[in-house]
Amino acid sequence: MIEVQGLSKSFGKVQAVKGVSFSARDGQITGLLGPNGAGKSTTLRMLYTLLKPDDGSAQIDGFDVRQNPIEVQKRIGVLADARGLYPRLTSRENIRYYGRLHGMEGEALEKQISSLVTLLDMQSIADRKTEGFSTGEKLKVAIARTLVHNPQNVLLDEPTNGLDVMSTRAMRQFVLRLREEGKCVLFTSQVMQEVAALCDQIVIISQGSVSANGSPDDLRKQTGKENLEDAFVAAIGSEEGLMQ
Amino acid sequence: MKKIWVIIQKEVLDNLRDTRSWTTGVFWALFGPLILGGMIMLLGNTIREGTEALVLPVAGAEHAPNLIAFLEQQDVVIKPAPEDPQAAVIAGDINVALIIPVGYGENFSGGETASVQLVFDSTRQSAMMDISRAYDLLEGYGSYIGLLRLSLRGVSPEVLHVIQVEEVDTATPQSQALIFLSMLPYFIIFVIFNGASPVITDATAGERERGSLEPLLINPLPRGWVAIGKMISAMPFATFNLLITLVGFAAIFRFLPIEKLLGVQIGLDIGALTSVFLICLPIVILACAIQTLIASFSKTTKEAGTYLPFIGLIPSLPGLALAFLPVKSDLWTMLIPTFGQQILINQFLRTEPISGMNILISAVVTILLSVVITFIAIKLYEGERIIMG
Repeated sequence: MIEVQGLSKSFGKVQAVKGVSFSARDGQITGLLGPNGAGKSTTLRMLYTLLKPDDGSAQIDGFDVRQNPIEVQKRIGVLADARGLYPRLTSRENIRYYGRLHGMEGEALEKQISSLVTLLDMQSIADRKTEGFSTGEKLKVAIARTLVHNPQNVLLDEPTNGLDVMSTRAMRQFVLRLREEGKCVLFTSQVMQEVAALCDQIVIISQGSVSANGSPDDLRKQTGKENLEDAFVAAIGSEEGLMQ
Repeated sequence: MKKIWVIIQKEVLDNLRDTRSWTTGVFWALFGPLILGGMIMLLGNTIREGTEALVLPVAGAEHAPNLIAFLEQQDVVIKPAPEDPQAAVIAGDINVALIIPVGYGENFSGGETASVQLVFDSTRQSAMMDISRAYDLLEGYGSYIGLLRLSLRGVSPEVLHVIQVEEVDTATPQSQALIFLSMLPYFIIFVIFNGASPVITDATAGERERGSLEPLLINPLPRGWVAIGKMISAMPFATFNLLITLVGFAAIFRFLPIEKLLGVQIGLDIGALTSVFLICLPIVILACAIQTLIASFSKTTKEAGTYLPFIGLIPSLPGLALAFLPVKSDLWTMLIPTFGQQILINQFLRTEPISGMNILISAVVTILLSVVITFIAIKLYEGERIIMG
């Protein structure tokens, strides 16, 4: 469960996020949709404690991101925009490192790693050093590392960016599976079709603030448009992000 | 706190697999001993030449049979000079040549000042020993004859000796060789910094460059622990380099025939090396702290790589100066981290008495400074700039 109230963040004179509020419930997929530079990643970065909000607050499972960052970090799994791996470590070692940083160890950790390896179909690369992995292979390791501590809240920053068709499909299946497990999934995207296909709730962000928020049906009603694409354009006032 | 250990384990494993980096480090660690060994061999030869008989090419020996006889009495081997003595000295064929002009005998017998020419190149370091010996012998001959002449005329030779200089040289036989040893602290400190820098570069600027820093910092542990873990993980590498260097120096002193080359014995035994090792451990901590701090605000590994290894040059420079300028082990020197240790190392090598208090003070000051620097590095890690670069 993620709750956000009036979150704001500036970098120098540029106000990247202006009073963003929304909530994302367990067992639902919430999409943050908006064009490039709208403030999606900055919002997400504040939620996963990397940046400190200038104003407003956010709670994850009731823990405040500013007051209690460590408790928040324990309850989130994050696939950040930066998803670099350690090239001299194997996939398994990369995942194990994060598991141990979450305080897991021994049998329980190894079992969890093995089940993730099976789930993500990465047996052939599990014990290879990650140097030279393809984008898709790297993503699998990064996802496994994100989920190794079985977090209740999963934050994904543009998870399908740069993936081929098959990997994108697999990624979407995976997000749906997380919803079935009752997780709270929050992801950002600039692709309207993707958000429309997956999300229970859509939060449209443009120029740092929320311009529309609700289920796909709500959005159609709010904007008075029959078509979700038109609704999106009406909400952000431009056609950016539609053509992909 | 256990998570600091997790970070250390990962960084050590990761960097051990980076074979190329740490083997290069080991090469640098051996660089100092190799250079020092080479210099001892080269300069040792020059020093040893001094103990051999002086070979003096002389032109016009027939004009001064007495002088020649005097020189031969002093174990000088007289050889006929080449055709053009000056050209031969310039060419480096001979170190020094004596030219006795035709008028020498006439002036000498007449009781006037008789001149001879000593041909040499004063910029040639390796010839200095021969030059000064030849010069001293000629002077000696001059004053010997002068005293004889005064005695003949009934003047006491003491009239000329207004001042008698007695040389009291406190240098032990080892002192000469110790000039070489004074360079040791310089190499040691440089090597410590060099051993830590690839690890710290990779662990900070490297993490940011390959995009693994941001996900790492989302893990549930204080960022300060991440900084401390990374800093500590560089210590084994720096310590290993320090050990390699010391073992290298020990091997040089053990297996090079130092006694034959320098004519002295160097007392650098296992005990002295162990003490030097222990004295240097606080510098390992300082080196890792300073470099962690700097790496945390360098944008790329390339940027960090251009100056991290050379940070070590600054604290090691006083060590180089120590080779030429002796500094006493006053309290103030102990208060300067790395400088105090360099003086202590020198004292150990000279087998001088060492105050335990000085060792303690230099260690405490160095560690205190490391703590302050670590604290600043932690503050930087806690800021947002660490992610953006």
